[in-house]
Amino acid sequence: MAGSRAKDTRPLSPHLQIWDWHATMYASIFHRLTGVGLYGGAFLIGAWLVALAMGPEAYHVIELIAFSLPGQLLLFAWTMAVLFHLANGLRHLIWDGPGVGFSPKVASLWSLFNMAFAIVGAAIIWSLASFY
Amino acid sequence: MVQLTLPKNSVIGKGKTWPKPDGAKKTKAFRVYRYSPEQGSNPRWDTYHVDTSKCGPMVLDVLLYIKNKIDPTLAFRRSCREGVCGSCAMNIGGHNSIACTKGWDEVAGRTITIAPLPSLPVVRDLIPDLTNFYAQHAYVQPFLKTDTPAPEREWKQTPEDREQLDGLYECILCACCSTSCPSYWWNGDKYLGPAALLQAYRWLIDSRDEATGERLDDLEDPFKLYRCHTIMNCAQVCPKGLNPAKAIANVKHMMVERVV
Repeated sequence: MAGSRAKDTRPLSPHLQIWDWHATMYASIFHRLTGVGLYGGAFLIGAWLVALAMGPEAYHVIELIAFSLPGQLLLFAWTMAVLFHLANGLRHLIWDGPGVGFSPKVASLWSLFNMAFAIVGAAIIWSLASFY
Repeated sequence: MVQLTLPKNSVIGKGKTWPKPDGAKKTKAFRVYRYSPEQGSNPRWDTYHVDTSKCGPMVLDVLLYIKNKIDPTLAFRRSCREGVCGSCAMNIGGHNSIACTKGWDEVAGRTITIAPLPSLPVVRDLIPDLTNFYAQHAYVQPFLKTDTPAPEREWKQTPEDREQLDGLYECILCACCSTSCPSYWWNGDKYLGPAALLQAYRWLIDSRDEATGERLDDLEDPFKLYRCHTIMNCAQVCPKGLNPAKAIANVKHMMVERVV
C-alpha cells in the first residue's frame, strides 16, 4: 500500500488466504450479501405483481416456478436472507445508537444468534406455512 | 479496491521442510512465511520443527529458537519481548497478534502458520513495510493542540476526564488491528484504519485538547472514517484488549452531534 502498488515489486502479504474468520466477520459479509440479494429480490416481487395484474395464465407461470424445487429453495433462502438482514440490521442500529455490544465476546455471540435466528426462524415460518 | 486473490508475484510457493532437531522427543511444526528480495522469486512456506522441551512458551521464543538453532536467515522484528513495543506483530495461526505475549500452546492446529501482518508490502520474511500505517498515525496529529496560552505548570485534568482516556492510551501501535481489517485491506490508501482512528478518538475526547472541531474536519470524507463497517476484526485481535471499533463508533457519534 505504500506508494503506488503498480511499481512496487515487493510481494503483498497474504490476507484472506491465511485469515481465520471470526463470527463477526461472517456476519458482516452475510449482511452485505443478503442486502445485495434482497435488492435483486425486489425485482422478483415486481415480476410477481406484474404477473398478478396480467391474469391467471401469467400468474400460473410464476406459480410453476415458485413451486418447483429450485423455486422453493430460492424462497427458503430468501426467507433466511430477510430474517438475517433484519436481525443484523437491528444490531447495526443498536451499534450506531446506544453503542452497546462492541466487546468481542458479545459481538461474536450476537453474530451467531443472528445466523441461528435466520435459520430457525425460516424453518418455523416454513413449517407453519406447510400446514395451510 | 477489493482484490480477493494475491497478485502474481505474491502467490506463496511450497518451501523447504527443515529436518526435525536431533534427539527431540516432542516437536511442534511451524509453517513460516519466507521472502527474500535478493532471490527474485515468489515467497514460500518453510516448515520448521521445534523441540518443545527446549523452547520457551511464547511464539517469539519459537522464532528465536528457529533463528538460533535451525535457520539464522529468518528475519523478524522484535524488541521488548513483553508486549510494550509492538515490534513483533504478525499473523499467528490466522489472527494478528504480538509474538511475545502469544503462547504457542494457545494457538489451535497441529501446524501453526506464521505470516507477516496481512495485505502489506513485504520487506523480508516476517517484516512488512509500515510506512503508510505510520503516515496515517501522523495524519491524526497525535499530540495536544491548544489555543489558550500554556499554563505555568501542567495542563490540568480531573480524574474523571482522565478516565476517558483509559482503553485508548494503552495502544502500542503494533498495527495488529489495522491490518486485520478487510476494509483496510481493500482501501488502506484512503481509509485511516482502526489504529489511527482510535488515536484520533484519544485526542478528540481529551478534555485538555482544544482542536476538536479541526480534528473532526480532518476525518470528514467518505473514506477516512466511514469505511469502518463494524466487521470487528480489530477488537477481536487487539493484543492489548482495546476496542478500536467502539472508538470509531464514538467518533461517528461526535460527527453527528456537532451537526444536530
